[in-house]
Amino acid sequence: MIEARDLRKEYGGFAAVEGSTFSVEAGEVFGVVGPNGAGKTTTLKMLAGLLEPTSGTATVAGYDAGETAMRTRLGFLPEESPLYEEMTPLSYLRFFADLYDVSRDVATERIHGTLDELDLDHRERQLGDMSKGMKRKVAIARSLVNDPDVLIYDEPASGLDPLTTNYIIEFTERLAQEGKTVVFSAHNLFHVESICDRVAIMNEGEIVARGDLAQLQAEHGETRYHVYTSVEVPGSVQENGRHRRVVESMDAVETVREAAEAAGGRVEDIRTEASSLEDVFLNVAEDGADAVESGDRTGVGDRIAGPDGGGRRTDRVRSESGSEGG
Amino acid sequence: MHPRKLLRIARWEVTKNAGGVDRRTAAVAVGALLLLGVLAPAIAGSGVAVDQGLYRVGVAADNPYHPVAAGDDTFAVRDPDPEALSQGDIDLLITGSNPVTVRAASDAKGRAAAAEFRSAVESYNDAQLGREGENETAAFPVSVTLEYESRSDSGGATAGGGGDSGGDTAAGGGAGGGGGGAGGDADDGAVSPGSGGDSGGSAAADAGGAGGVLGGLGSDSGSTTNPSDLAPPFPFESLVLAFVFIVPLNFLIQAYGSTFLSERLNRRGELLLVSPVTRLDIIAGKTLPYFLGAMALEAAIAVGLTYLATGSLGGLVSVLAVTPLVLLFLAATFLGAMFARSFKELTFLTVTITVTLTSYAFVPAIFTNAGPVALISPLTVVVRTLQGQAVPLADFAFSTLPPLLTAAVLFGLGAGLYREEDLFAQRSVPLKLLDALAGPVRKRWHVGAVTALLIPFVFVLELLAVAFLFALGELSIPLVLVAVAVIEEVAKSLHVYASFEHSRFERTVRTGLVVGAISGVGFFLAEKLTAIAQAVGLDAVPTGEAALQTGLIQGANPLVLLVASLVLPLLLHVVTAAISAVGASRTRRAYLAALAVAIVVHLAYNLVVLGAVVGGV
Repeated sequence: MIEARDLRKEYGGFAAVEGSTFSVEAGEVFGVVGPNGAGKTTTLKMLAGLLEPTSGTATVAGYDAGETAMRTRLGFLPEESPLYEEMTPLSYLRFFADLYDVSRDVATERIHGTLDELDLDHRERQLGDMSKGMKRKVAIARSLVNDPDVLIYDEPASGLDPLTTNYIIEFTERLAQEGKTVVFSAHNLFHVESICDRVAIMNEGEIVARGDLAQLQAEHGETRYHVYTSVEVPGSVQENGRHRRVVESMDAVETVREAAEAAGGRVEDIRTEASSLEDVFLNVAEDGADAVESGDRTGVGDRIAGPDGGGRRTDRVRSESGSEGG
Repeated sequence: MHPRKLLRIARWEVTKNAGGVDRRTAAVAVGALLLLGVLAPAIAGSGVAVDQGLYRVGVAADNPYHPVAAGDDTFAVRDPDPEALSQGDIDLLITGSNPVTVRAASDAKGRAAAAEFRSAVESYNDAQLGREGENETAAFPVSVTLEYESRSDSGGATAGGGGDSGGDTAAGGGAGGGGGGAGGDADDGAVSPGSGGDSGGSAAADAGGAGGVLGGLGSDSGSTTNPSDLAPPFPFESLVLAFVFIVPLNFLIQAYGSTFLSERLNRRGELLLVSPVTRLDIIAGKTLPYFLGAMALEAAIAVGLTYLATGSLGGLVSVLAVTPLVLLFLAATFLGAMFARSFKELTFLTVTITVTLTSYAFVPAIFTNAGPVALISPLTVVVRTLQGQAVPLADFAFSTLPPLLTAAVLFGLGAGLYREEDLFAQRSVPLKLLDALAGPVRKRWHVGAVTALLIPFVFVLELLAVAFLFALGELSIPLVLVAVAVIEEVAKSLHVYASFEHSRFERTVRTGLVVGAISGVGFFLAEKLTAIAQAVGLDAVPTGEAALQTGLIQGANPLVLLVASLVLPLLLHVVTAAISAVGASRTRRAYLAALAVAIVVHLAYNLVVLGAVVGGV
């Protein structure tokens, strides 16, 4: 449904996005995460056709990003969606429905249906008099006014209270269950982890890791082993009458077992702890920072000076891009 | 373009703010507009006499001077009571019939009243003589006929020939400047240019300077003119007419600029950009209500004024003439709204636009009857139409095409910025200008195309320079030449500099030379559009000729004509554009230095060419 090939966006010699390649299948929920300035919003806007890539291509629903036909099948929700505050939700949504060539009857039914689902009652009140959460719901309703196949949501719950946030996340999940393809960016990794089928982690304009959560955990996460022994072993802490030592490999577990037996005790329990997306993200981000500091990656200044501007991409990303593109 | 969606956006633009204006404000606004609509035509039709009844004149009803005082609103007629004069109740006392005795009060007001009355008597007499339509010779035993000779003749010789008859007296004055001053010779029976004692002499005496240009342009060749017309009164009616058409536009653009800026602030317009509409749909849709509103207002004013002037409905020519002006106001404001980062900046820009465009449209239109220079403003066409004068098609095109094309260029530049990455970027106005200029440039030949598109701008600015500088006498021609050099060199190079700044081209001397040459060729080709100026005779004005450089091609043999009109200008534009482009390919400082060199070269060329035309300036 979405194909991005080697997307690059440059502003005055600075590459905001570099070598971004990924694909999203129909009905999939694809998360894009990364720290501030990682290039998430720029990537999403290139997909939506708002920004023209400096190089590379993006297709959505079989159309080049930005084509009018593609826009009719897209629902885009920017991170900030200031509305025309002098309008009411109904007049605002009807206006956009007209721009999408949705007939008046269908639009009315769809608008009220969506606002019902979003539990928004004040439909004739001026948008300027509404709370931020209510405005966000109207913005989400606007993204659905054309019944799009593809939804690109940039930080849909940014700055909202936990209740509204959960409501919007659950609503987005329901949209995915209805078969819509969703590309979703968020700072809150728990939300991404809870609803995304696959995730791309961006840092400094690059996709530095991607895959489903299991893949990311396997490649970038750490499985930790909590080894409970009956006797004290080096590095253990006492906990409920037992001794617990946390290690990060099976070899280390074996070492703990040998130490316990040498002390006249035994291993009573071993529990595994998988990394969360947040752990994976922090690991990837730290790897990136360490690599830059140690000179493994080319610095920003060198990238700008590079003749082909391609200095940012690492070998790891290149190989991943290749495998993804096939 | 999607016309249906465009109209939907237009409707939305009208209705979305409906809730933002309360009924009382709307009522006040409508009332103010109606008041303007009612008062303005009335004022334009009748005039405002601030000096009505200023001087009190004591004169009997049977006195021959009674009609003079009674027919002039400046005077209030009183009984001719000598006591009243001494007590200060009247300012003038007119008694007797042959001879007539005029006594003025001994204070300053009395002296002013006497001077004003003298002037009123002269006007009255002229009016009386003017009624002698069937026997003009009896009314005007001496007539002065002004005939202008082309520059191909020697100014001095032509002027000297003026001694043959009184009718040729001013021949050298109108066009030849310095030559005119020597043209007259009292011994040959001609009116001496230095005399200035009579009306005809006055006209000739001023001919070498601004007054001569102004006076000369006021008369058509071969026409007979009442001498008093050579010093026309202040054109109050033209002023009011021009004012009435301009004022509503200045209010309108405030709202128009705000609507675009509000799209940019807080990224409100982003969702329109991602909708299945083009940016042209958005721009045209948002512009349409303001354009139609402005046109409705202007049409109402035009029809109203036409009805007052002629007693019948009309005003189509006025509406057509004012259309480019409306578009120019909107286009300049649109571009300003694309540049501004805040409402504060927008206010500054709209005030600048108001002052500039009002000067452009308003000032020439006030002096509608002064001659071809006034035609640079479309309002001149409007005023002439309302005054019952016919406007030839060439004059209409000359007045309306430059602002129309300039509006198109401004809309084009602004539309180039109407995209996500420019619309919401917070860059300074100069940087936004460079963004707009570099936007259309993707390949080298685009530089020439942009240069050509900027020609209407150049044309309007040069006309404006002519209009403002031609009254400065001997200084006007050198100043116009400097202005022309600066305007043309900036127009040829600024987008080249912007393109290098936006990394459109490799920063090498070779690229600079090539791109500069392309810009020069583009300018040369488009400049030929200025031929339209000759159609209305603007090149008859010395400053106009200096700006348009048309004099060189008159009376030359074909080879000289080819070299002078094609080869030399082409070389000039290519060379100077290449100079500034090489500078632009390096740094901003280098660009400014190279631009200065190009301007000097251009100026030197202009001086040489003009020297060849008029025998030295």
